[in-house]
Amino acid sequence: MIWLEFTIMQRALLACILSGFLTGLVGVFVVRMRLSAIGYSMSHGAFAGAALGVATSMNPLVTGLLFASATAFFIGPIADKARLHADTITSIVFPLNMALAFVFLTLTPEIGLTSQVANVLWGSIISMTNTDIVYLVTLCAATSAIIYFAWKELFAIMFNRKLAEADGINTKPFIYLIILLSGVVVTISLKLVGGLLIYALLFNPASSALQFLEDMRKIMLASPIIGTATNLVGLLVSLFFDLPIGSCIVLVSTGVFAIAVLFSPKRRREVK
Amino acid sequence: MWLVGDGMIHKDAIVRLESVSTVYEGERRPAIKGVNLTVRKNELVYVVGPNAAGKTTLLETINGLLPLFKGEISVFGFDVQTHGRLVRCGIGYVPQDFMVKPGEPYKALDVVLMGRYGRIGILHRPEEEDREKAVKAMGLLGVEELANRPMGKLSGGQQQKVMIARAIAKEPRVLLLDEPFSNLDPESREKVPSLIRCLHEENGLTTLIVTHDIHNMMKECRRVVVMSNGRILVDGRPEKALRIMENGSYAASMEAIQ
Repeated sequence: MIWLEFTIMQRALLACILSGFLTGLVGVFVVRMRLSAIGYSMSHGAFAGAALGVATSMNPLVTGLLFASATAFFIGPIADKARLHADTITSIVFPLNMALAFVFLTLTPEIGLTSQVANVLWGSIISMTNTDIVYLVTLCAATSAIIYFAWKELFAIMFNRKLAEADGINTKPFIYLIILLSGVVVTISLKLVGGLLIYALLFNPASSALQFLEDMRKIMLASPIIGTATNLVGLLVSLFFDLPIGSCIVLVSTGVFAIAVLFSPKRRREVK
Repeated sequence: MWLVGDGMIHKDAIVRLESVSTVYEGERRPAIKGVNLTVRKNELVYVVGPNAAGKTTLLETINGLLPLFKGEISVFGFDVQTHGRLVRCGIGYVPQDFMVKPGEPYKALDVVLMGRYGRIGILHRPEEEDREKAVKAMGLLGVEELANRPMGKLSGGQQQKVMIARAIAKEPRVLLLDEPFSNLDPESREKVPSLIRCLHEENGLTTLIVTHDIHNMMKECRRVVVMSNGRILVDGRPEKALRIMENGSYAASMEAIQ
């Protein structure tokens, strides 16, 4: 494993483990709370932000993070104000972010799809820095702590939001918290697989775990493990075949989901 | 002291609705209109009426789950609009036709335990005592052996019993049950209403039950609220309610749903 001697590869390995754990963990809530369109909106929000950053000579990662976080932050309250499901609002915000991204790029035709924008769009393992790893470690610790302390409320909301309200739980802050957490996780993980593929990391591990398990606590353990494993296998595949890492991770992750669907015990007919 | 349906004045009102009208989101016509209702401590009230009479809306309005209403609602003396969460912590609620799909990752005991989450308080974790109360509530309904089975694998009747156990495990002061016996088998249809009445008598539970089951209504309670077109037609003894229900257009609509 000569490639492990390179610092870049060590960082890549760490990033794969940490972002696989994070997206697998947060993905369970995104899938169970039916916030699936949020991934699309935030990743494209990050792309729009990066485009603005390039157009205005600011750091594309910072502007990307701001756009993605703003998208995540406003989806919940707007959905409540408009009395629509968060999925509906995200479906409106998603093309809005894409439209903004192309407007920003058109404003600066000399820059176009530079490597900085492309990094955010497709991901770039060599652009991973020590700071990114520190962000990921901090976010892993913070996310785990939030889930540990708010597990009771999040569990009840995943079961049924209306019943959770009827039990005396104020569900709104917890929904907003998950949306915001998803936004930050997506943005921090963008460098690994890029904005266009990141949502596969959110949905695939959780959806795969849901095919096999009927206990939410076990799903909460299995999903980050699947996320981490698929990221590592994806990294190895990309190294051996010299393919883009983001695409390899998504292909492996989708393959795992396909296998989970095919062999899911939930789909086996009960023998009488 | 408030005026109740039977014309008497009572100071021990637990639930009080004054000229309440509730409108569903996107609707212009209110689902319930100008409803006045007072339920005293330890009362068992059956709410009957044809489909779309406003029975479910009435329960959800009392629970504060439907925010768009006119008039005044107080439960335990608290305004539901301003103290909704506090009020809901003391209410055990069983929704109408609640079914968990097969494959959903929730065990029956977890679902019953969730009923206590509001009481436990934010960021606190359930303790052994909470678990014991959840198991005890399941035992009362005869579903304790289903504790570790996924909800989605239970029959409609079993799920309904688990949901009733969930409401009871909360140790509420008020029970709001929306057609809680609709999926039960004939034997359970006899047993479960009697169990609810026993709990109501032993624990002084103020109980409102929405039902189409006239047989149990006549057997188990002394006060019936008959609703039609979002209004309360009758509020009185079951015999009086039955007389009204047997007359006119209401009888026809009740027959249709029996």
